[in-house]
Amino acid sequence: MSSSINNGISKYTSTITEKFGEHVESINEANRNEMHITLRQLDSAPRICEYIYSEFHGRLSTIVCSDERRVANGRFMLRYVFSMSDDGNDVFIVVTAKIDQHNSSFPSIALQIPAAFLYEREINDMFGLTPQGNPDVRPLVLHEDWPSGAFPLRKDFDISTKMPREHKEYRFTKVEGEGVCEIPVGPVHAGIIEPGHFRFSILGEHIVNLETRLFYTHKGIEKLAENRSLEETLLLAERISGDESVANSTAYCQAVEKIAQSSLPRRAEQLRVVYAEMERIYNHLGTLAGISTDVGYAYGSARLNILKERMMRLNETVTGSRLLFGVNRIGGVAVDVSDEVGKTFIEIMNDVQQDFEAVIALLKTKSSFIDRLRNTGVIPRKAAKELSIVGVAARCAGLDIDVRRDHSYAAYSGLRIDPHHDSPRSVTKYRIEMQKRVGDALSRFEVRVDEVKDSMNIIEKVLRNLSEGEIRATVPQENLKPYSHGLGYAESHRGETMHWLMLGENKNIFRYKVRTASFCNWPIIEQAVMNDIIPDFPLVNKSLDLSYSGNDL
Amino acid sequence: MIRNILKKGIFAKTSRDILNSKVETIRNLLEDTDVIPTNYRGSVIFTKPVEQSATEGIAAALTDVCATKALSIKATPEETCITLDRSKCILCGRCRETAPDLIVIGNKFNPPVKSKPEMIVSSTAQAQLAQKSVEETRIELKTRLQRTLGRSLAVREVDSGSCNGCEVEVTALNNPYYDIERFGIYFVASPRHADVLLVTGPSSRNMEIALQRTYKATPEPKIVIAVGTCACSGGIFGDTYATTGGIDKVVPVDVYVSGCPPRPQALLSGLLLAVDKLPSKAQSRIDKEKK
Repeated sequence: MSSSINNGISKYTSTITEKFGEHVESINEANRNEMHITLRQLDSAPRICEYIYSEFHGRLSTIVCSDERRVANGRFMLRYVFSMSDDGNDVFIVVTAKIDQHNSSFPSIALQIPAAFLYEREINDMFGLTPQGNPDVRPLVLHEDWPSGAFPLRKDFDISTKMPREHKEYRFTKVEGEGVCEIPVGPVHAGIIEPGHFRFSILGEHIVNLETRLFYTHKGIEKLAENRSLEETLLLAERISGDESVANSTAYCQAVEKIAQSSLPRRAEQLRVVYAEMERIYNHLGTLAGISTDVGYAYGSARLNILKERMMRLNETVTGSRLLFGVNRIGGVAVDVSDEVGKTFIEIMNDVQQDFEAVIALLKTKSSFIDRLRNTGVIPRKAAKELSIVGVAARCAGLDIDVRRDHSYAAYSGLRIDPHHDSPRSVTKYRIEMQKRVGDALSRFEVRVDEVKDSMNIIEKVLRNLSEGEIRATVPQENLKPYSHGLGYAESHRGETMHWLMLGENKNIFRYKVRTASFCNWPIIEQAVMNDIIPDFPLVNKSLDLSYSGNDL
Repeated sequence: MIRNILKKGIFAKTSRDILNSKVETIRNLLEDTDVIPTNYRGSVIFTKPVEQSATEGIAAALTDVCATKALSIKATPEETCITLDRSKCILCGRCRETAPDLIVIGNKFNPPVKSKPEMIVSSTAQAQLAQKSVEETRIELKTRLQRTLGRSLAVREVDSGSCNGCEVEVTALNNPYYDIERFGIYFVASPRHADVLLVTGPSSRNMEIALQRTYKATPEPKIVIAVGTCACSGGIFGDTYATTGGIDKVVPVDVYVSGCPPRPQALLSGLLLAVDKLPSKAQSRIDKEKK
């Protein structure tokens, strides 16, 4: 085995070889921070995954299934991706298992690693591979009226196939008992939000159980990407979730750039940071305004919406799109920020920051506002950890997960994400603060407020130190070999977004697996509302700010 | 240009200050052209008619680069030209990069239209029209606004599977800058209260039935506005196992507002076009009942 460049990887390699040597076919490094463990037998996957999860404290980042029956392997492949970030290591462990053609099932890991249960249901729907041992194999992505025996992500399924509808019913969890009622909500909601179905079981006003039924906006994005060119898929990546366009396109571009082993001009990396933080700011402002609306404090929401609109106009003046569509390109960025624009940019942002601080100061004096948020929608830390949730939802519950720091990309490595990490003393202080966070709507409110300020500081810092030079490099085409693959990731305003890309012939896409932060975070809402009453739900939902489209793909 | 955003409001520090807040609303939305930055990607415009010989090489390259197949070659015995279907265009600007002397991206948004054929423009015949028609529509709509909005309009927004970009812009209509309630247009919580359905998204298969039911629950006379390129044609999500390829395959559509996403002004123009259509729809219903 070649000597490891990434110190973190060598540590894991030796342990895995020692413990599971006979089950492992090969261990190799790829793309700087990916450690691939290929297994001999499918059956050993649960044991190794559980070991990485419980002993290495790996966080299950995604499970990728791909239909590689017609290529070299001749099989379905399963890749379990774990994010390792202890001791400042930047490593992804990818456990690769093969499923033989005659086999239409694989051993479930959901009972050991609860976060896996949704991925396994998804694989069951899209590939027709049954997770053996997963107690829940109800349809997920394809709703109950989808006929059995048709699996969209298999290569022999034609994307334009129109399937007839079947009459079947979805089994919701039934809560029975005296006085227990059910309230079905959605998919079309009362507000201007995306579609999804919520099934409440209530006793009086109290929520006894909530079951979410999503995937109403499933558009087949992963299938659409297949056999498309890299450029076209970039447009698709931007539209996975409109308000996350920068994060998703960054993750996608990075996956391609990693495979191509291309390095970006410094200026391009810096501008990616600027655009990503611009996206975070306008979305956090929108969510804070939404929280204020749902609390019933119209003044706060009106003022915060003004700030959001100002930021969106700034987005547009700088990049030509209010939602920052089209800023990223493979190999760099499409839009430059001139010195003059940069200066005015900072001026406007400082202006917004002043106004923002005034509004927040006012909101914090309103006891009715704060009381409504405190202890509402509490995310239990244990559940947060077991379900591997990410982003603001995790940070509000005291789990310090931030891809910008843990697996830093673009120009983030040289930046302090937040001032809390400036000195050992402030790090300790920050850790104590983290432990105090209880995961309620108030802590989400506070985390978002902090992040808006942090993002503004980051932008200012980066814009003042912009490197000279190109904003886009040409990607070495010769490295884009068929069936090479790579991971791309970014921290959106919702949390970690994870893209796995495998190239096919003619530099087209063979398989594109997307997992946005919303996919990880949706299950937690069922836990978060357990101590609340029905009227709290909109507030809990808004404070978590989850994307339906990013979840449903 | 960028300084236009530098309008500082008075922000309340105490509850008493709230009363002193200044007006932030844009007075005349449809004439608010100066806030649209010059680099905004609003519409694809052909700068000149292309001769047959020149077209062939460029045309092939253009149709190749267009991810949603909005650009296509139209060959008739008389002429060969490139046509642009705005209902499919997601304004990515790749065509401009391919043929910068043939195509420019203007900062004026695509005008909302009442029927799909109106959205197809060609490089020869309508080279100038795209620029003009936005202005014309504006003036036209302004008079209609004064004439028709004697009565308020109830709007129900339905997401039939959009990427949520359109939702961000629809929500923006309610912010204090646009504040469309002052025109008597307001968003209602149920289709049963609505005159207008504002539908976004390509209509995914999983939302198809919900959209049909929402349409059925809306009382007559009702107007359906397809918002965004996806709703107009399926856009980048096309017509697949999971999508229907445009909401007009699911419910009848009265007004198309293309754009990815359409900016708030465009949405308002679409709503005003719908306002205009409402009386005639009501009349036709009365006539039908008389029979």
